[in-house]
Amino acid sequence: MTGIQRGGTAMDDLAPPAAGMNGALLSVRNLQTHFFSREGVVKAVDGVSFDIKPGEILGIAGESGCGKSVTSQSILRILPKNGKIVGGEILFQNEDRTVDLATEDADGRVLRDIRGKEIAMIFQEPMTAFSPVHSIGDQIIETIRIHQEVSKEEAHDQAVEMLRRVGMPNPARNIDEYTFNLSGGMRQRAMVALSLSCRPKLLIADEPTTAVDVTIQAQMLELLRDIQADLGMAIIMITHDLGVIAELTDRVMIMYLGKEVEHGTVEDVFHRPQHPYTRGLLASIPKMEPGRVEIEPIEGVVPNPYAMPTGCKFHTRCPDFIAGVCEKHDPPLTQVAKGHEVSCFLYGGRERLE
Amino acid sequence: MLLYILRRLIVMIPVTILISVIGFIIIQAPPGDFVSSYIAGLEAQGDIIEPELIDSLRARYGLGEPIYVQYWKWVSSFIEGDLGYSMIYREPVVDIIAQRLPSSFTISLLSLILVYVIGIPIGILSATKQYSLADYSFTVVGFLGVATPNFLLALVGLWLLFKWTGNVAIGLYSPEMQNAPFGLAKFLDLVGHIWLPALIVGTAGTAELIRTMRANLLDELPKQYVTVARARGVKPTKLLYKYPLRIAINPVISTVGWLLPVLVEGEVLVSLVLGLPTIAPVLLDSLLQQDMFLATSIIMILGILTLVGTLLSDILLAIVDPRIRGAV
Repeated sequence: MTGIQRGGTAMDDLAPPAAGMNGALLSVRNLQTHFFSREGVVKAVDGVSFDIKPGEILGIAGESGCGKSVTSQSILRILPKNGKIVGGEILFQNEDRTVDLATEDADGRVLRDIRGKEIAMIFQEPMTAFSPVHSIGDQIIETIRIHQEVSKEEAHDQAVEMLRRVGMPNPARNIDEYTFNLSGGMRQRAMVALSLSCRPKLLIADEPTTAVDVTIQAQMLELLRDIQADLGMAIIMITHDLGVIAELTDRVMIMYLGKEVEHGTVEDVFHRPQHPYTRGLLASIPKMEPGRVEIEPIEGVVPNPYAMPTGCKFHTRCPDFIAGVCEKHDPPLTQVAKGHEVSCFLYGGRERLE
Repeated sequence: MLLYILRRLIVMIPVTILISVIGFIIIQAPPGDFVSSYIAGLEAQGDIIEPELIDSLRARYGLGEPIYVQYWKWVSSFIEGDLGYSMIYREPVVDIIAQRLPSSFTISLLSLILVYVIGIPIGILSATKQYSLADYSFTVVGFLGVATPNFLLALVGLWLLFKWTGNVAIGLYSPEMQNAPFGLAKFLDLVGHIWLPALIVGTAGTAELIRTMRANLLDELPKQYVTVARARGVKPTKLLYKYPLRIAINPVISTVGWLLPVLVEGEVLVSLVLGLPTIAPVLLDSLLQQDMFLATSIIMILGILTLVGTLLSDILLAIVDPRIRGAV
């Protein structure tokens, strides 16, 4: 393969960036996704914004329930029935026009054409990502034939090629195998091959390393890095594992209870964390250093999603809580360095409160 | 796969032998040997039996000889197609079964087709439109169907039919057609009569199938492979039919074979209420009157059909589900 270059340059040649997207491939703006149930409304994602450029790797990190997976499901519009996007935009640069994925019909033509072809997703459980009664090849070939007008034989060859590329030991035979025949690592690879079968411009990896053991986790990260260098797609890496973020991504966004609390380059966020929550997260990682260093967990528990705290959602657990401010107002995003933003009153925003 | 079928066939041999032993025990169970009770029965009706007949019967079934000789004689004549002689019908058992089998089979097959044709689509609808008005309505109808005994439905059906049309739909043919040679007229007469028993026999099965399909499909629909397929751009219709339905229907396929004995046996009570010429009332009669050759023959046939049906189901399941193929 010679035609594929890494990331940005290849994309920039293809299509001029749309007005207002600053060359971003995907621009999520003030996304709000809520879940409606008998018990009430859960604001799973409550005003999240981020951009991702072609070929870039963005990490989204946070505890369980912070809305990172719901964000990715919102982008592809594969939310469960009771989940709805109630506000915001998801602008995607599709060929030469900009589509707002948030307002398109969830199972309409536009989204179906984008899913799997332009934006693909890797899921947490490789065992259950494939139908147990269809061969992995059946599902890869199906995806290719949905999005490209090729014969069965051609699609088969493409699928074998993709399986070879993700490092399956015997692609010509593996293509006819079922998930229960494959080892955990092979399943992961098959799943990557499935999502990359149409060479998407954006790959969303939703906790791809959570359900596997550490050796396979390392293989997976290496595979993603190789494939990314090879095919040049952008990646959104969703994980609660800050190690994975540090290992793989260029930029990172930290989320807490559906809100973005801090974002910046991995370098900035990991070495100069600003938000008390980010600092807490980093302090709670066990370190492999000689001598015993105490792990410092974040105090308190994640609040009940049906009874969210007012003001800054983190104020109930924050060591730097400013009484009279944090519980009353929502902190705005404040730039602390170029490309490094924090939503916390410690860094300003109070003057705008009057 | 071939090896799998072969292995299953071999396993069937000891089970079949076991069934035949149980069948033999049933024959032996009533006090005295069956020839004595046969004679007693005939004499009670004032018939005189020639001693030659008695002797030939005793010789044929090895009465008075050791039990294993008796068993062997019975089994070998069974295999040769001599199922013995019915005391209450005074006919060879083979003839009785041959007369009744076609109508048993027709009614059961027809009601089975109705069960699948009605049950599966409604089950799918109930699952995909869960908690809709249609789902609730079919749930109510379904529970009523499961809870109502079919013989009660048969009585209600008879009464309604009589109320509305003045006809008494008992049996499969009108009285004047009963002995007519089979032709177009008789066939049309059959069509006019058979729908009621077929529908009634199928009601509980349909209701059960609706519940099963709904539950199976509801289990599959939220599975991740469905979401993944959706995230690949698969169309909503294919998203239902190609993936979850394929798996949800497996238990239905795997029980198809079990229906084989049901096809023959049919519904005892419904057949009695509607006066249907099926095998079921014969089985009941033979058990009540200790007509042991007849009863055992029917039980043997049902037992063997159960075995064959289970084998068929297992083969079907191995064909549709690669996980089973992988495990065998």
